[in-house]
Amino acid sequence: MELNIIEDEYAGTVGSALIKVVSLFFIGIMIIAFTANPISVGTNQGQRAPDVEGKFYNGSGWSEFDFESYFNYSWQEGDISGQWVAIEFMDTDCPYCVKSAEEYGEYSDYFNVNNPNWDGAHVNFLASATELSIQGHDSSRDEIEAFRDKTGGEDCAGADCSSRPGAVHNFPYIDDLDQDNMAEWGIPGTPNYFLIQPDGIIAWSSSENTNEEISDAILRLVPRAGA
Amino acid sequence: MSSNLIVAIYLIPTLIGFLIVSPWGNIITSSLKERFPSLTTLRGQLLGGLQLISLAGFAVSTQTLWISSKISEGGTFCSTSETFDCDDLLGNSELNVDPIFGLSWGLIGMAVFALLLFIVFVLQQERNHPLAERLINIGLLTTGAGILVIGLLVSYEIQEQKICMYCTTAHIANIAALVGFFRLKKVFDNKSEWNNEA
Repeated sequence: MELNIIEDEYAGTVGSALIKVVSLFFIGIMIIAFTANPISVGTNQGQRAPDVEGKFYNGSGWSEFDFESYFNYSWQEGDISGQWVAIEFMDTDCPYCVKSAEEYGEYSDYFNVNNPNWDGAHVNFLASATELSIQGHDSSRDEIEAFRDKTGGEDCAGADCSSRPGAVHNFPYIDDLDQDNMAEWGIPGTPNYFLIQPDGIIAWSSSENTNEEISDAILRLVPRAGA
Repeated sequence: MSSNLIVAIYLIPTLIGFLIVSPWGNIITSSLKERFPSLTTLRGQLLGGLQLISLAGFAVSTQTLWISSKISEGGTFCSTSETFDCDDLLGNSELNVDPIFGLSWGLIGMAVFALLLFIVFVLQQERNHPLAERLINIGLLTTGAGILVIGLLVSYEIQEQKICMYCTTAHIANIAALVGFFRLKKVFDNKSEWNNEA
């Protein structure tokens, strides 16, 4: 039997260089792996909430919204002084959003440090108002204002905005008529709710907890003084 | 330790490497030739400079990946209200990854400088390796393509009106490596100079 042995006098050169470089690469990766615990940005529970951009209306006018200002990245779990964020992705012409407006407004008044009956951390309520690409969903900033303030002259899901259930909302409405935030957050439909920890990590989302209301999630997850 | 001081740890060897691979490299290496005989030839000088640049580039890329990871945890590293602020760029989840595959720029930098280091190691051990010309061309192409990436990343810095010193150090390392590989190719094309012994 004859054996054909292929000799490569340069193999050692490439091999030793490769070993050195690969070792260096893995040392670098291992240093990062052992000293950092990166959190990805996304809309699943446990991920860092993506940014929400645009102008917001708080009852007096439209100004630039700063989502990051709501968060304290050094917040520690259980710290009651940290403020949580509840955000609703909605459309002023979506009948389900109109229907849920009453409850969402009540929650914003209840889970508030100014409410003597609530002993938990403060929850900031937000609404990101979009215009879904569906026939009959023609929204505008005037309509967002009318929906929030319950003023007349604008049509919200087939009825005058002043007739929507519930009281006037006291929380900011962000203009997402161009659907930028919807796309960034991967929102499939409205209404869609998220509860975000004070450090910007998503604690709960309605799409991952279809059998739980946002109010129940707040009661379950937000730290309370008596707990 | 101040974040600017940490930048100096990477920037100084990068700039020394840049000077070594530049046409004035002889001035820098003249006093070192007795201690490092490989620096007596132009080939050895260029490979020595490229080794220093690639190592510094690899280290600063590792540091940027680490900073991105730490910021994602919610921490800060070099956040200032001034122009020199890397947190706003390395912590931006849209800008700190490439737009096609979503890979961290830091990780891409690590891979590129590791490749350059591999080329340098092979050529240092065996200058007439059958793949020598191809390896030099790969180095030249990689660092040349890096110029396009630098253009994109600088446009991000202009957009955000911030300058990330760690990223800039990696950019300088890429430009220095491009100069080094360009000169190395010229030396390779002149066989007598390429095979010149110390």
